[in-house]
Amino acid sequence: MPGTVMEPTAKSVSKRKRQEHGDESKKRRKSGGGESDDRKSQIKKLESEILESRKHYNNIVALVAFAKERSENPKHNLAAAEALCRVFISLLALGNLVRREDASEKEATVTAWLRDRLSEYHEALCAMMREEATAVKAMVLAMALVKAEALHMSDKGEAFFPQAFFSDLVAEILRSPFDQLREEFVDKFLNNYEDIRFYTLQAIPAILDGSDEDVKQSVQSNVFDLLVGLHNAPASSDDLEEFYVDPPKKKKHALLSLSQHKKRAQDAWLSLMQLGLDKEQKKKALEIMATSIAPWFTKPELLMDFLTDCYDSGGSTSLLALSGVFYLIQERNLDYPLFYTKLYSLLDADILHSKYRSRFFRLLDTFLASSHLPAVLVASFIKRLARLALNAPPSAIVAIVPWFYNIFKKHPLCTFMMHRVPRTKEERDRLETEGMDDPFLQDEEDPMETRAIDSCIWEIVQLQSHYHPNVATIAKIVSEQFTKQSYGLEDFLDHSYGSLLEAETAKEVKKPPVVEYMIPKRIFTKTDSIEEKDSLLVSLWDFGSS
Amino acid sequence: MAGSQLKRLKASLKDQGIIGPQQSKKQKRKNALDAKANSDKRLNRSEALEGIREQFNPFQFKTNARGPKFDVTTSKPANDRAARGINGRPGLAKSIGEEKRRQTLLAEMQRRNKVGGLVDRRFGENDPTMTLEDKMIERFTREQQRNHKKSSLFDLEDDDEPSEGFLTHGGKAILFGDAEGVQDDFAEEDLPSGDESDGSHAEKRRLKRLRLEQTEEEESAEEDGQPERKKTKKEIYEEIIAKSKLHKYERQAAKEEDGELRAELDKALPELQSLLFQRPKPQSKDAEDGNAPVIIAGVEKTVLDKEYDVRVKQLAADKRAQPAERTKTDEEKAKEESKRLKELEEKRMKRMRGEADESEDEEMEDDEPVPAGKGTSNIHAERMAMIDHGDDDEFGLGEGIKLRPTATELGFDDEDDFLIDDDLVASGSDLELDSDEYGSEQEEEDSEQESDSDDDEFTKGLLTGNESKDSAFQIPADRKGDDKDGVPYTFPCPQNHEELLKTFQGIEVTKLPIAVQRIRALYHPKLDSRNKERLGNFSHALIQHVAYLGNSFEPHWFPTLESLLRHIHSLAKTFPIEVAKGYRTCLQEMEKERPLALSVGDLVLLTGIGTTFPTSDHFHQVVTPAMLSIGRYLGQKIPQNLADYATGTYLSILALQYQQLSKRYVPELINFCLNTLCSLAPRKPTEKLGSFPVHQPAPGIRIQGAVRNPLRKLTCADCQPDHVASLNPEEATTLKLAIVSTAASILKSAADTWHKHAAFSETFSPATLVLSHLLTTQNKAHLPVPLTTKLQDSVAALSRLLALSRLARRPLELHHHRPLAIRTYVPKFEDAFDPTKHYDPDRERAELAKLRAEHKRERKGAMRELRKDAAFMARENLRAKKVRDEAYEKKYKRLVAEIQGEEGHAANEYAKEKALRKKKR
Repeated sequence: MPGTVMEPTAKSVSKRKRQEHGDESKKRRKSGGGESDDRKSQIKKLESEILESRKHYNNIVALVAFAKERSENPKHNLAAAEALCRVFISLLALGNLVRREDASEKEATVTAWLRDRLSEYHEALCAMMREEATAVKAMVLAMALVKAEALHMSDKGEAFFPQAFFSDLVAEILRSPFDQLREEFVDKFLNNYEDIRFYTLQAIPAILDGSDEDVKQSVQSNVFDLLVGLHNAPASSDDLEEFYVDPPKKKKHALLSLSQHKKRAQDAWLSLMQLGLDKEQKKKALEIMATSIAPWFTKPELLMDFLTDCYDSGGSTSLLALSGVFYLIQERNLDYPLFYTKLYSLLDADILHSKYRSRFFRLLDTFLASSHLPAVLVASFIKRLARLALNAPPSAIVAIVPWFYNIFKKHPLCTFMMHRVPRTKEERDRLETEGMDDPFLQDEEDPMETRAIDSCIWEIVQLQSHYHPNVATIAKIVSEQFTKQSYGLEDFLDHSYGSLLEAETAKEVKKPPVVEYMIPKRIFTKTDSIEEKDSLLVSLWDFGSS
Repeated sequence: MAGSQLKRLKASLKDQGIIGPQQSKKQKRKNALDAKANSDKRLNRSEALEGIREQFNPFQFKTNARGPKFDVTTSKPANDRAARGINGRPGLAKSIGEEKRRQTLLAEMQRRNKVGGLVDRRFGENDPTMTLEDKMIERFTREQQRNHKKSSLFDLEDDDEPSEGFLTHGGKAILFGDAEGVQDDFAEEDLPSGDESDGSHAEKRRLKRLRLEQTEEEESAEEDGQPERKKTKKEIYEEIIAKSKLHKYERQAAKEEDGELRAELDKALPELQSLLFQRPKPQSKDAEDGNAPVIIAGVEKTVLDKEYDVRVKQLAADKRAQPAERTKTDEEKAKEESKRLKELEEKRMKRMRGEADESEDEEMEDDEPVPAGKGTSNIHAERMAMIDHGDDDEFGLGEGIKLRPTATELGFDDEDDFLIDDDLVASGSDLELDSDEYGSEQEEEDSEQESDSDDDEFTKGLLTGNESKDSAFQIPADRKGDDKDGVPYTFPCPQNHEELLKTFQGIEVTKLPIAVQRIRALYHPKLDSRNKERLGNFSHALIQHVAYLGNSFEPHWFPTLESLLRHIHSLAKTFPIEVAKGYRTCLQEMEKERPLALSVGDLVLLTGIGTTFPTSDHFHQVVTPAMLSIGRYLGQKIPQNLADYATGTYLSILALQYQQLSKRYVPELINFCLNTLCSLAPRKPTEKLGSFPVHQPAPGIRIQGAVRNPLRKLTCADCQPDHVASLNPEEATTLKLAIVSTAASILKSAADTWHKHAAFSETFSPATLVLSHLLTTQNKAHLPVPLTTKLQDSVAALSRLLALSRLARRPLELHHHRPLAIRTYVPKFEDAFDPTKHYDPDRERAELAKLRAEHKRERKGAMRELRKDAAFMARENLRAKKVRDEAYEKKYKRLVAEIQGEEGHAANEYAKEKALRKKKR
C-alpha cells in the first residue's frame, strides 16, 4: 500500500522537477544570448498585453513585424508566429473578428483593422513556409488558424472553410521545395481529413494554372506525388466521416457528396495531365491507373486520351497502359479500334525480357481468353510468341508454353499448328523434294493476315531440347496428349534466373552425382597428336600454350 | 418306416451290404484275391457306416426345419451341406467346447488361490546395478561355497560329479586348476559311457533306490535262516558303501575290458586303412605311435587327439585350389573393354534422355529438379510420364553417337594409349627412380586395386595406371626434405582453403600438381580410415584453390590448372559428393556475389565442371546450376566494356561445348553473340535484324578503322576489366576484332551443333542477317580482310545449313497418339449375383458395413462364450460341491454307523451283563 500511495506523489514531484528543469534550461538559454532573451520576453509581454485589454491591440502590429522580420534566428519568427496564433485564436473565439451588423462604427473599424492584421499574419505565415527551418511549424500553425477561422469567422453559427487562405496555403506547400513539409501535410492532414483533401484538390487546378514557368516543373511533380499518394477513393458518401472542421449541416453540401469529391480529384488529375507528364511519371501513373487513379474519376472516359496516347507511344509505356485501356474497355465500354492489332504489335523482341512480363501475360491471357476470337488471330499470337521464345530466357519460356496449352484447349482450330498431316499425294511429294518454308509472315502487322494458322510451332519443338531440364520438360507438354483441362498460369509466371538457380542449389547433394568416366587428356592445352581433335574451347580460345 | 429301432438298423445295414447272407468259401477267396476291390469295399463300408450312424442320431445335426429357403436363387449345388439345410453339429461343437474348457478354464479354476510357478532366484538376476561380470563371479563363488558345504564326507553319490545345474563356461564346467587333483583318479573311467554320464540326478536317485531294495532283498534272503536281528544303522550304511564300491569296481572293470577291445580294434585299423587305400599314410604311423601311450596313460592320448583335431581343422580350412581364370587374349580384352565402354555410353544416353535406371528410379525421383512454384507436382508427374515414351527423334539423339566415336569406332588402341599416356606424374620428378625399388609394393597395390575395383567400375581400366604411378607410396613417410624442385615430400592434408594456401606457400604454381599428387598418395584412403574424410575436404579446398589461381592467373599456368582439374576429376571418382558439393558451393557463392561479373577463376571452374561431369545429362546436380549460371550471364549481362564481351564470348564457347553431345539449345548464346556482333559492328544496323533484344553499346565500343589490325584469338587476360582498361586504342581495336571473329566462329559451330533442330532456320536466319550486315560496304571498310573472309565463310556455311534445313522441314505431326477411351456409363452387372451379399458401390461404406457386421458377430460370439464359461464354472462348482457333500455324507454315515456299532456293542454288553447278573441272581 505505501508503494501505491507513494507513486503518484513521486511522479508529480518528478514532473514538477522536470518542469523546473525545463524552465531553468529555457532561462539559461535565454541568458546565453541577451538579445534573444530580450526578444522572447518582449514577445511574451506583448502577447499577454494584447489578451489583457483592447488597448494593446497595436501590439499585434509589432508581433507581425517580428514574425515577418528576416533574422538569422528563426526561433524568434516562430515564437512571434506562435504568439500571434494564440492571440488570433482567442480573438476569433471571442468573436472580435466577426463583422456584426449591429456593431458600432468604431467596433466595425476595429474589426476591419483586425482583419487586415490577420491577412498580414497570413502573409507572414506563407513567407515562413518558404524557409526550411520554419516551414513545417508554420504549416501546422496555419492549419490551426484555418480551423479557428473556419469555426468562428462566420456569424451564422456554422463552420465556414476559409478557402482563400487555404488555397494560398496549399499553393505554398506545393511550390515549396521541401519534401518534409509536403510529407507532413499529406500524412497529418490530407489523408486524414476528407475536407482538407476536398479543398486541396479543389485548389490544385488553379495552382497549376497560376504558377510561373520557372517553378512549374517542380510544382507539377509535387502535385503528381501528392495525387499519387492519395489514398483510395471512399466507396460511398457515407464513408466520408473524418472532417477537420465541423462539416456543414446542410445535407446537400458539396463536401458531403462523394461525387463532388471525385469531381475535384478528377479535375486535379486532368489539369495535371493536360500539362503533360514525363516518361517516368507516366509509367508510375499507368502502374496505379486501374487501382488508384481511375476510381477517383467520375467519368473515367476522360482518361481515355491519356491512356490511348500512352498505349500508342510504344515500349514499356504501352505495356503499362494496357491495363488502363482494358479497364476502360471493361468498365466504360471504350471502343478501341484495332485493339488486337495494337496488342499484337506489343509482342516485340523485348517483351519477354521486360520486367513487366508477368503483368503483361496476365492481361494477354484475359484478352485472348474469349473463345469467340478468330482462330487466325489467336494463331498469330501463338506463332509470334513462339518466335520470340527462341530468344527468350528460361523463365519466359516456362510461362509461355503452359499458356499455349490453355489457348490450344480453348481454340482447337489452332491445334493444326501442332499436328498437320499432308492430305494429298502431291503435297507429300512436294514436301519430300522441296521441304518447306515457314508460311508465317513475321513482318505483317495485322494479326489476321500473318498466315500463322498455316504454320507450325517448330520453335517449341526446338525448345523441347532446351538446356534447362525443367524448361525442356515443360515444352514437351505440347506434344503430349491434351488430357489436362488447363494449367494454372500463376504457377509459371513469376520465375527468374535467380529463382531457378535457387531451386537448384537449395537441394542438398545426397546421391553421388555421375562423374564423367573418362578423364580428358586436354582441357586447356592443345593436343599433340593429329588424330585427336581439339575441344571447341581450345580451338577458339588462346590459353597461351599455342 | 415300421419296426423298432433295432429292426431298422438291421435293415439299413443289410441295405448297405455290410451284413448279408453268409458267403461261400469260394466267394471269400475270390474277394480276398481281388485286393483292389477289397480296399474299395473297406472304404465304402466305413462311409456307409458313417452314414448309418448319422441317420440314426438325428439330434447331432442342427437342421433347417423347412429346408433351404428360395433354393432357386442360389447357385450352390443342391447336394451341398448348406443346401440340405444342415447348419451345424451342436453335439460335436458342445463336446469340443467342453473339452477345451476342461483343459483351460478348469485348470485355471483348480489352480486358483494356489501359489506356484517358477521364481527366478539366480543371484543378481534382477539387480541392474551389477555388471554381468560381477554377477557371474558372485554366482560362481556362491556355487563353490554351496558345494563346499554340501560335500559331506560320506556322500557317495555327490562326489562323483558336481550337482545338477552347475555353472558352465563355453559348455565346460568351471573348475579351478587344482580341482583335477581333487577328483578321483578313476572318475573318468568310472563313467559308463558318454550317454549315461550325464544322467540326471533323478536317475541316480532311482538307481540308488533300486540298489537299496536289492540289497535288502539279498540280505533278507541271506539271513533267512538266521534269527532276525535288527541291524544298526551303521552296519546298514557300511554295507551300502561296500556294495556301491563293489559296483563301481565292477563297472570299471567292464569299461576297461571295453577299452582294451577298442584299442585292439584301433590297432588293427591302420592295417585295414592301408589295405583300403593301398598306400601307407604318415598319419597312420602317428596313430600307431600314439597308440602305445593311449594304453599307458590318458593324458598323452588327449594331447594326440588335440593335435589330430587341429590337423583336421587345418585341412578343412585349407584353401582349395581355385580354378584360375583363363588368361585372356588381347582381342578378348579389347572386346570386353569396348563392351564396357558401350555400356557406359548407353547409360550416358539414358541419362541424356532423362530416363532413369531401374535401380536408380527412386533416387532419381527425389533428385529431379522441380521448378519452384505451386504447380510443381503435376509438372513432375507429367514429366515422368513423358519421359516414358519420349520420342528419340525429338532429341536428335540419333546423331549423339556419331559425333563422338564410341570405343568400338575408336579402336581399343586408343584406350590403351590413354592408359599408358595418362600418368598424372609430371616429368622431372624423381619418382621414377623410386618406383623400381618399390616395384613389388606397387604390384601389390595393383592387385588390390583390381580386387576392389567394384566400388568404382570406372577407375578400373582408366585409373589403375595412374594411381599406381601417381601414388607416391614409394616415398617413405619419414623422409623429410624437399626434392630438387623445392617441393617437400610430406605435407599436412589441408582441410580448407586457408590451410591449403599455407601449405602451398612457397611452392611454385607449376609444381603444384606434384604436391597434390604427394598429398593424395600420403593420405590415400587405404592407409587410414580417416583419410577418406581428409581427402574429401582436400578436394573441396583444391576446387577453391583452382578458382583462386584462376583469378590471379598467368598464361603459363594453364597446363598446371589443367592437371589440377584432372586431379579433381580423379578425386571426384572417389569422392563424388564432396567434389560436387565443392563445385556447388563455388557456384552458389558466384550467384550470390557476382552473377553478372564473373572472374577468370569462375570461368576456369565452369570449364572444370564441364569436363568433370557429364554435361549431356538431362539433369545433373552440378552441371544444371552451372549451365544456368552461364545462361544467366549471357542473358542478363548488358556488356559495358570489352572485358564483358570477352567473358561472354568465353561462356558462349563453354555453353556450346557443354551441349556438344546432347545438342540442347541455348537461346542466350544466340542472343549474346548476335548482340555482340551488332554492338561491335562499325555501323548501327538500320533495321531490325531479328527478334533478339538489342542493347545499345557503350560509347567507343564500335570498331573503327581496323583495316590494318591483325586477327588474333582471345585470351583469358581479355576477360579482366583492369587489363582491358589499360590497353591502348590500337590493342583495343585488335581485341574487338578478336571478339567479332570468335563470335562468328561460335555462331558457325553452334549452327553445326544445332542444325537438326526443328526451328533451325528461325534461329539462325537472324545470324546470317547480322553477319551480312557486317559485310555491307560501309562496315567492311573498317574491317581487315582476313576477318571479312572469315565472316563470308561463316555466312556461306550458315546459308548452306539453312537451305538444308529448309529441305528437311516438314509440318509438325506431334499428336499421333492413341485415342483416349471415352468413359462408359453402362451399369455394371454382376455375373454371380448373390442376394445375401451387399453390393455397395461406395467402397468405404461397404467396408464399414463389413467391419460393423464383423464386430457384431464377434461380440455375440464373445458373449456366448462368456455365458458358456459361466455355466461351465457353475456346473463344475456344483460338481465339486456334490463331491464334497457326498464325502461328508459318507463320513458322517460312517461315524454314525461306528457310533451305532459301538453303542450297539455296549447295549449288547449291557444286556449280557444284565442277563448275567440276572442269572447270578
